[in-house]
Formats: sequence, C-alpha cells, structure tokens
Amino acid sequence: MRDAGSLLVLDQVVKTFGGVAAVGGLTAHVRQGSVHGLIGPNGAGKTTVINLITGLFHPSAGSIRFNGAKLEAMAPQDIAATGISRTYQNVRLFSGMTALEQVMTGCYLRRGVSLWSSFLGLPAASSAWRSTREQALHLLDRVAMAHRADELAETLSYGEQRRIEIARALGSDPKLLLLDEPTAGMNHSEAEAVGRLVHELRDAGLTILMVEHNMSLVTAFCDSCTVMNFGRLLAEGDPKTCIADPAVQEAYFGRKNDADRIQALR
Amino acid sequence: METFLDLWAAYGSTVTFAMVNALFALSTYAVLSTGVLSFTTVVFAAVGGFLAAQLSGKFGLPLWAAFPAAALGGGFAAAVVAFAFLRLESHWMALASLALVLITRVTALNAPALTGGVNGLIVPVRVEPLELAILLALCTVVFWRLHRSWFGLASRAVREDAAVASTMGISPYRIQFIAFLISGVVGGLGGAALAFTLQFISPETYFIGIAFTMIASTVLGGSFHWLGPIIGAAVFTALPTTMQAIVPQIEDVAKGVVLLLIMIFLPRGLIDPRAWGLKKAAKLREETEAKRAAERDAHA
Amino acid sequence: MQLFVEQLINGWALGSLYALFGIGFGLVFSTLGILNAAHGTYASWAAIAGYYAVERFGVPFPVAIAAGVIGGGLLAVVVDQIGFQPLRAKKTGMLGALITSIAFWIILDSLAGFATGQQSLAFPAASYPNQMVVMGPLRVPQMQIITIVALLVCTIGIHLLIQKTRIGAAMRAVGWNEVAAALGGVNARMVILLTAFLAGATSGLAGVLGGISTSNVSFTLGEGLMLKGFAAVVVGGYDDVRGTAIAGICLGIIEVFVAQYISTSFRDGFTYMLLLAFLIARPRGLFGSASFVRA
Repeated sequence: MRDAGSLLVLDQVVKTFGGVAAVGGLTAHVRQGSVHGLIGPNGAGKTTVINLITGLFHPSAGSIRFNGAKLEAMAPQDIAATGISRTYQNVRLFSGMTALEQVMTGCYLRRGVSLWSSFLGLPAASSAWRSTREQALHLLDRVAMAHRADELAETLSYGEQRRIEIARALGSDPKLLLLDEPTAGMNHSEAEAVGRLVHELRDAGLTILMVEHNMSLVTAFCDSCTVMNFGRLLAEGDPKTCIADPAVQEAYFGRKNDADRIQALR
Repeated sequence: METFLDLWAAYGSTVTFAMVNALFALSTYAVLSTGVLSFTTVVFAAVGGFLAAQLSGKFGLPLWAAFPAAALGGGFAAAVVAFAFLRLESHWMALASLALVLITRVTALNAPALTGGVNGLIVPVRVEPLELAILLALCTVVFWRLHRSWFGLASRAVREDAAVASTMGISPYRIQFIAFLISGVVGGLGGAALAFTLQFISPETYFIGIAFTMIASTVLGGSFHWLGPIIGAAVFTALPTTMQAIVPQIEDVAKGVVLLLIMIFLPRGLIDPRAWGLKKAAKLREETEAKRAAERDAHA
Repeated sequence: MQLFVEQLINGWALGSLYALFGIGFGLVFSTLGILNAAHGTYASWAAIAGYYAVERFGVPFPVAIAAGVIGGGLLAVVVDQIGFQPLRAKKTGMLGALITSIAFWIILDSLAGFATGQQSLAFPAASYPNQMVVMGPLRVPQMQIITIVALLVCTIGIHLLIQKTRIGAAMRAVGWNEVAAALGGVNARMVILLTAFLAGATSGLAGVLGGISTSNVSFTLGEGLMLKGFAAVVVGGYDDVRGTAIAGICLGIIEVFVAQYISTSFRDGFTYMLLLAFLIARPRGLFGSASFVRA
C-alpha cells in the first residue's frame, strides 16, 4: 500500500559481513519528491545501506526496488543508469582532476554520444561535448564553485570538495540523490547553503535520501526520516516525532540515568 | 648536413630503438592508464612480430600490409587475454600477466613451424626510421584523441577509484577491456616494428627484457599522460648509450642507479600533469595572499 | 623402480630449491605488496658470498651456508631500505617499487658478473657433503637430502611464524593495510624489516644450496631460480607458504620426470602448460580462497 507513492523501497534488507549483520532486515520507504533523512548513531549501518542501494555491496537477503527496477542483483554502473547518484561520507574525488573534470565525469551517463564517435571527434560529438561542458559549469555554479573550475580539486578546502562532489553527483541528472553526511566538516553557514540547495533540488522534482548526523539539520532539511540502530529500523516518519521518540533518544544519548552518571563523573 | 649525418651514424640506431620502445611503452600505458598493471604487451608484440615476419617472409606482403595484420593479431590476442584475466584482482593480474610472458616464450620455442623455434626467423623487409616515425606519430595522434575524449575521462576515473567511477555509470570492465584492445593493437605494431628493425627475431626477442624496458619507460616518463611513455622510452633507450660514453665498464650499474634515483625523487615520472596543477595552485595561493597583504597595507 | 624412486627424490630436491626461493618472493608480495624483480639476485649473491667464504677463508660447510643466508637477508634489507622505503610515504603503489626493484636487478646482476669474472664458478668438491647416502637399493646424494630437509624446516617454521605468533599476526595485518596496521599498534617498520630479511635469507639459502648442487655460481643462478620459483608462487598461491612449497616440489618432480620419460625439450614447456592451466582454472592458487573478487 505504502509502496504506491514510494520511489525507493527497501524490503527486509540484510547484509552480513563474516557472520555479523551490519544491516539486519531493514524496511524503508522513500517517497517520490521528498527529502528523506537516514539517521542513527555511529555504526548503525547507514553508510552500508547507501552502499547496498548503489550496488557497491549486494544484500545477503531482501530486496531493493527503485522505480520498478529490482536493484539487489545489479552492478553499480547499471544502478547508476536507472537514475541513482551519490556522494561519499569521506569525500572521494578523483586525484589529478580539476573541479570541472570531476563534474564532467559525473556527466558520463548523459554524454549523448558513443565512446567511439567521441574518439573520432565527429561534429555531433564535439558539440555534445561542449554542451555537456556548459552543463557541468552550470552545476559548479549551482554549488558556488564555478570560479574554481580549472583548479585541481585536491587543492581546495574540504567544504569546497564536498560541494564539488555534490555537483558531480548531479552530473548524471539523477532521479534519486543519495547524500552521505553532506554537511560533515562544514561550518554553519556552509551547512545552511547545502540545506537550501537540497530544498531547491527537491522543488525541481528530485528525490533525496540523506544520511545526517546533526539532529537540528535533520528537522530543518528533511520531510521524513528513517532512524536506524544496530542495522535495524528504530523509528520512521516525521523527523520531529522520530527524534522525540524515547527509543531514539536512548539510542542517541543513552539511558537518562546513564547520561546523569556521565555528567556526575565529570 | 655532414654533422647531422655523423650524429645519425652514431645515434641513429638509438633513435630507432627509442621509437620502437615508445610503441611498447604506449601499449603498456594504454592499460596502466585504466589502473591495470599488465606485462602482456610482450605477448601482443610476439604475436604481431611473428605474424608480420611470416607474412612478409613467406607471402611477400609489403610493409604497410604487414603492419595492419600485426595490429589485428595483437588486438585479437588482447581480446582473449582480457577475457581470461580481467576478472582477477590487481595483484593477481600482474602475476598472471608475467606468467603469460614466460608461457609465450616456451610456446614460441615449441612451435618452430610458426616461429622458427630456437633458430628464429630472418625478416627480409626493413623499416626505415622515417616510416617508423610516421607510425609512431599516428599512434600518438590516437592517444592524444583518446585523452581528450569521454574514454579518456572515464579511464582516469576508473584508475583513480574504480568503485566511485562505477556508481557514476562507468563500467570499469568495459573501459579496461577497451584499454586491452588498444594495448594489443599498439603492442602488435611494436612487435612488427621490432621485427622489421632487427630483421631477425626469435622467441628470446620477445621476453622479460622487453617487459621491463616498457614498464620502466612508462613509469619513468610518467603514466598520467600519453607524452610520458614516449619521453620515458627515449630516456630509457638513450641511457645505456649515454652511460657507455660517460662511464664505460660499469654502464649497466650506472643505468640502474639513474633509474633508481629518478624513481625515488620523481616517483610519478618526468611528465606529471598533477604536479603542474599543484604548482599552479600554490602560485595562486601566494598571489592571493600577496594581494591581501597589499590591501591591508593600503588600508593602514 | 629404483630409477623411478631416485628420480622422484631428484625432482623433489630440485623442486625444494624452487619452493625455497619462491617462499620469500610470495612473502614479500603478499606482505609488502612488492613484485620484487631483484629477488633472484639475492640468491646469486648468497651463492657468491658462500663461495668466497669457502675459497678465501676455507670455512666449513655450515658456515658457508650461514654466510649465504645472512648475506642474502642483509642484502634484501639494504635493497628494501634504499629502494622501497622512500617510496612508501609517496603512495606509488606496486609500480614504484617494481621499477626500483628492476633498477636493483640491473645493478646487482651486473655487479655479480664482475664478482665472478663473468663466468660460472663451482664450489670445490671437498667443501661440502658430496657423499651418497645408501638406503637399501637407493643411492641419494647428501646435498639432495639437505635441500629437502631445508625446505621442510623453512616451510614449517615460516608457516608457524605467520599463523601462530604475534609478529606473524602483524605481518598478516600489514599485508591487508599498512595504515590500519600502524593504527592498530603494529610496528610496521619492524614487520617490513623482518619480512625483507626472511625473504632474502630463504632466497639466499636456495642460492647457496643451488649453487653447490648445480655447480653454478653466477648471476644466471638467480635468474634460473626466478623463472621456476615464480611459477611455484603462482601455482601455489602467493599468500600461502604451504601452497608454494607443495607447488614447487610438484614442479621439480614433473620437470625431472618429463625430462626422463618424455623428452628434455618438453621440460620447460610442461611446467608452463601447468602454469597456464592453473591461471585459467584456479587463478588464486592451490590454497587460495575463492571468495576474493575484484571490487
């Protein structure tokens, strides 16, 4: 029933590493056109979920459905082609590439020409290359990085690298964007800017699933959320209600008297 | 003019071999630039070399018909190798490809009908340095075009981080398979070029020596730009000649020491676009800081 | 039957040399991630060290062996510290060290040529146990028995070292990830030095024993061992000492039997056909786990 408006559905997804379950039967729904938060304490298995959706890992059991496609047995590049794109918890830009080249690489899926015609430099391929380049510059502009287009990405600051990574992920013109802690290491105003960008993208029709640590950002950014702990679903629904949930409070801050005891020790 | 002829008499063969080695180095670079360390260029060279030698020797094929045949042969061999080896993890890939080089020599030794066996083959056709230069120029144009194409961009991504590249819709397998085909074609051409230069080939011609020459040339010159292997091949080929002129007797030792020093002090090779970018960034930072300091002074 | 058994032992001893040599090559490859082209030169130089110890100083056989083993080990440590250590911080991966190892291969091979006067030297017959051991109808050279025992001792010793001791656990950890190993309190530098020394020492042992039994002390000794030892590593799986040992012995036996019963000209061909078969059918070697796939 709830699957009806959902773009992405995780159904009883399990992932074990050497007998230890990093994700133990997670079920989650991401509504079309929403910003959905994936939250939970460290080691809850959030990044593993992102890796499972993008095909870097394959689930040990369960199914992942996206827009009518069954992702669980697909290769990463085929999953990307269905319209899923992502960023990484610790920025993974390509060494030796300029900011523009990073985003151009992100545009690989919508290059519009075959590798062969691009090699031959046919007129159609050249004009396609130029228009993709324009798009890439436009994407850099969206994350306020156009002025750094021709600089090596690795020479830029951490926050700038994160923004380039978002632009790169947008390069493939995805339907679903997965952001893995997009504001980590950013100051408050940078994080706000990311929040505004996320809302702009949603209003333009994109669906966003984001892993986020900062609770106040989750309530500010997300329309709905899934809370995980020890690889399992803890709560689901409206962010404010979720965070107020005693089980969530306990997972994040420990039992009330644990916190008191820690306070006493200090 | 006369001095040129003198120079050519002294160093002509070095230049010729530098061009042949550049083809081998480009073949190695083709796969290395997609993140695959493979010694199979030697195998493709052997296929191309023996094919070209037999076609020109037995069937009287002219040079410019033998080269495309060698390219096709090398490409075909590469397709088979890529199919068998691309599923291996990178360390195993390196070992397996080296093993294949050993196997190729033994196979060649035991197939005298095709390769002349231990006696080798006399190659009746000779390639002129100018023709060789044209061949190398053609190959260079191909690599230059590749570098500026979607394939070039994708191969850099696959080399730096194959997993990330795959989540952007790039299939590492497909990119590396194409890279192997290119490596095979260029390696086959190099093998034929070597046959037409030496005019005598045997199973020992295509062996570990070439494997190490080509990999050293590529890494020495830099494996991040197509210019690297060409420069590297020139340096590595000229090294023994130069060393013999400077320190006869111990030229081999000197060659090893130079190789060692270059590698330790320039581990990314002589041609390194990333280092240029880093320098540019450092300069830019200096300028902005200088500008800021000037502004501060103006305010004060 | 008598010939058969004698040839079996003959092949076993030959294969033990390949395996002894291959163990160190595989150890360095799996622990330090280095494809070491200079590994053969350790064997050549160990044999040369042993030879001159006997020739100049008239030392007894065990001392000559020790000179080779320690010499090989120290040489490997020197090569590692000069050629590989500076590259570790620069993250050049497998490539940088491969090139510096090629450089050392060129340097050490050509120096070995000078050391032996560009010819092949032989240990004086009186300097090593050159008697036959008679076991019933069998007559086996003492050197063959020593070689076979040497491999057994080294294989068991290194296997126990890697699997059962703390430093062995550290070696396995470095093999996975040097950064992680450093964070986990493992003294990575100690592991690197120990691995390099062990590799050089085993290669050196193979070199001295091989130099004596083949009467060939020159740079070609290391190159010959390199080709076959490498095959043993690929067939046996580079990350398991036992695999290398078994594969080396099998290759030696096959080589001797093919030469005896089929034809000497097929000897190498057979070895490499086997290698090819393994590459295609069992690319991770005898003991290699099948679960490892490219990510």
